Amino acid sequence: MTPELRRSVRQGLIGGAVVLYLASVGMLVAFDARAIITNVVNFATVLIVITFAAFGYLAGRPGKGGEPAQPFLLAGAVTGAVAGATVGVVAVLVDFLITGLEWDVRSMWTSVSPTLMELLSFGQSPIVGALLMTLLGFTAGLAAGSLHLATTITRKVILLGLMAFVFGALGAPLFKVMLDGMHIPNRWLFDRDGLTITGAIVLFAAFGLARLGSFRVGGPRQALLKVPGTSEKNLRWVISVLALLGIAVLPWIVNDFVSDVLGFVGLYILLGLGLNIVVGFAGLLDLGYVAFYAVGAYSVAILTARSSYLVGGSVTAPAVAGYTNFWVAVPITILIAVVIGVAIGAPVLRLRGDYLAIVTLGFGEIIRTLVLSDWLKAKFGGPQGLTEVAAVPFFGLNTRDPQILYYLIYAFAGLALFISYRLKTSRVGRAWAAMREDEDIAEGMGVSVIKYKLLAFATGAAVGSLGGAFFAAKLSVANPGSFTLLVSINVLAVVVLGGIGSIPGVVVGSLVLVGLPELLREFGEFRLHIYGAILIAIMILKPEGLIPDKRRALELHQPDHQPEKSVLSAEATEGIQ
Amino acid sequence: MSHLLDVKGLSIRFGGVQAVNKVDFHADPGEIVGVIGPNGAGKTTLFNIITGFYSPDEGTMIFDGHNISGLKPNALTRLGMARTFQSVRLFNAMTVLENAMVGQHTRTKAGVWGALTRSSKTKSEEDRIRERAREVLAFFGDRLSGREDALASDLAYADRRRLEIARAMATDAKLLLLDEPAAGMNPAEKDGLISQIGRLRSELGYSIILIEHDMPVIKSVSDRVVALDHGEKITEGTYDEVSTNKQVIEAYLGKAAEESHL
Repeated sequence: MTPELRRSVRQGLIGGAVVLYLASVGMLVAFDARAIITNVVNFATVLIVITFAAFGYLAGRPGKGGEPAQPFLLAGAVTGAVAGATVGVVAVLVDFLITGLEWDVRSMWTSVSPTLMELLSFGQSPIVGALLMTLLGFTAGLAAGSLHLATTITRKVILLGLMAFVFGALGAPLFKVMLDGMHIPNRWLFDRDGLTITGAIVLFAAFGLARLGSFRVGGPRQALLKVPGTSEKNLRWVISVLALLGIAVLPWIVNDFVSDVLGFVGLYILLGLGLNIVVGFAGLLDLGYVAFYAVGAYSVAILTARSSYLVGGSVTAPAVAGYTNFWVAVPITILIAVVIGVAIGAPVLRLRGDYLAIVTLGFGEIIRTLVLSDWLKAKFGGPQGLTEVAAVPFFGLNTRDPQILYYLIYAFAGLALFISYRLKTSRVGRAWAAMREDEDIAEGMGVSVIKYKLLAFATGAAVGSLGGAFFAAKLSVANPGSFTLLVSINVLAVVVLGGIGSIPGVVVGSLVLVGLPELLREFGEFRLHIYGAILIAIMILKPEGLIPDKRRALELHQPDHQPEKSVLSAEATEGIQ
Repeated sequence: MSHLLDVKGLSIRFGGVQAVNKVDFHADPGEIVGVIGPNGAGKTTLFNIITGFYSPDEGTMIFDGHNISGLKPNALTRLGMARTFQSVRLFNAMTVLENAMVGQHTRTKAGVWGALTRSSKTKSEEDRIRERAREVLAFFGDRLSGREDALASDLAYADRRRLEIARAMATDAKLLLLDEPAAGMNPAEKDGLISQIGRLRSELGYSIILIEHDMPVIKSVSDRVVALDHGEKITEGTYDEVSTNKQVIEAYLGKAAEESHL
């Protein structure tokens, strides 16, 4: 067996195992009901094909030194066929166990339902089904492997077209609501929860052609600059205005549920930007960031909630009127957060990296257990927290309405964006960056490490507490259950996934990590499964984050200065296989 | 004339090792002092103490009229001391220009408020920082000036050493402490360095203390040479005096003899 063949077979076996895993956890059956193209293909089949194709693509990837093209094509096909055959053989065996030996397979392997068996054999007899599965693998692998023969442009155009088609189909229910909201006829595009055949072709072609067109003129930016009368400067203006307009009209073209989700995304943008200052700019790994979220929420709650002892006298006897205005409460909240930020920061000044992370983790938990404690129950309301937090007063508008609150949250997220940009490109930002790079040397160059660490904690705390303030006003409660370690981890994941230190990265990270799982709710228990898989995939494929900070990206890709054929990725692939 | 830097009876111990033992040491304004000694003689430790990275067990240190014992490195930078490191330590993920700009930190004061409002005062301060950074980069010709936006980690080795010196210059220091600036340089680069060190004093008025293993470099630039061995100062004087000193020859030859046996 040649090494190439061995590699293909190995990849194929892994691919087959992945499909069997998806079947075992029940994902395939669950997704069988979800259409991609209505009445033609469902999500389960697409998931199988994507798996085969992905492994076929990986197997066909050119090795070092650019070997001839022929083996690649074959590698993809072999991998796909092996993967398909693996699935087929296992399906035949299981069928034999059930029908031939009359074993009660389901008592051990609960997900082996008749539906699954039918799905894996395409409704045919097991042997024919296995052959069909192998054929499907062969075709998918061949197609994916042959992508390597195409030029980079063709490959990217096809991949983008396919992605547009899959995401378009998955988001069909959402997009349909949006189009309906704008009274745009969409029967030709979407059919119930999937695409129509026309829709699939149109999506694939539209995105593919757009990508191709932009390649022709050297990228989307260049394409826009080709339009007469545009320059770098006014293009930036136009894009900013369009983005603002998009953000402004968004709540009105989606339903309340999506507006609500977008509100949460906005809160995470606030939290992410705050943590990004601490972790991304100053390089201080903080695992207890939720503390400031809690501080913000509880401060606002104590100042404005009807159940607060300040407002009503006791938790059990809510007052009828006389609370602090939210807009008065916010500056006080920020002040409290800054004080607590400095208080938490001060004892950990000497700590670095992992040690700092563990200590901050401890502080996060302390804050949560304090508000949960019986000791402070009279002040913080114990486990049920403070209820009836006042809504944000805003020109008499009903700010409990997610569509209204959305604007307030995004206005403050915008403010946090502005603060982040300004700080990053200032003397303060430079001092932070120097400290992040090498604390000792930064101190040697005159940066007072103590001052700048405290400054980072304080600024991060201030921004995070704003998130907490809106959170309490949005849900009208502040309770300990909302401020668990998981929140700290999620915010950190947003920052890392977006690209540590990258400001637009936080926005994209929030959309992907907070928005997407909410929209995947229809997938029930598999939602977090998918979430985890996305997290792993992005971190392996793009360790520098989705929108990397320019400096970091360059740093991570140091070894390969030649464009194309990245040495790094070739080595990485070797390592994985 | 009072000394720019005056160190007396400096000692530090690490566990059982007396790394620096009762060293008296000084540098005058406008002077270039070379510090030599075999590996492990305590040269870099001496630098680390003077620049505030270590605090000494004993001894007094006066810099430019200030008692600097117990001051942190950033305070010393403010007083006018700046150093480079034996193993080049730049802010790798920052650009060449930014590295030099960090040097100006103690000479400027814009804080969070200035950053947010970006007032005309802050703007003109930023301009001044940038201008000063470009100035120090230009000292090394187009080796650094031409690569302002490159990442520090992208520079060639010798340029990384140059950038370290530029960054130290950008602190507007009176005294530069250079730790083996010629290490890893080829002969042509060393010649360049020798003339640059000379110009640092003659054109820009810096006083310089340098640790160096490369004797030709020491010989060409030093007004005075201090020799250390086993943490103690064994002698000091002109290059010719020190290089013919018996103890110095023993310190080096002894080591060379040991090495030849290996």
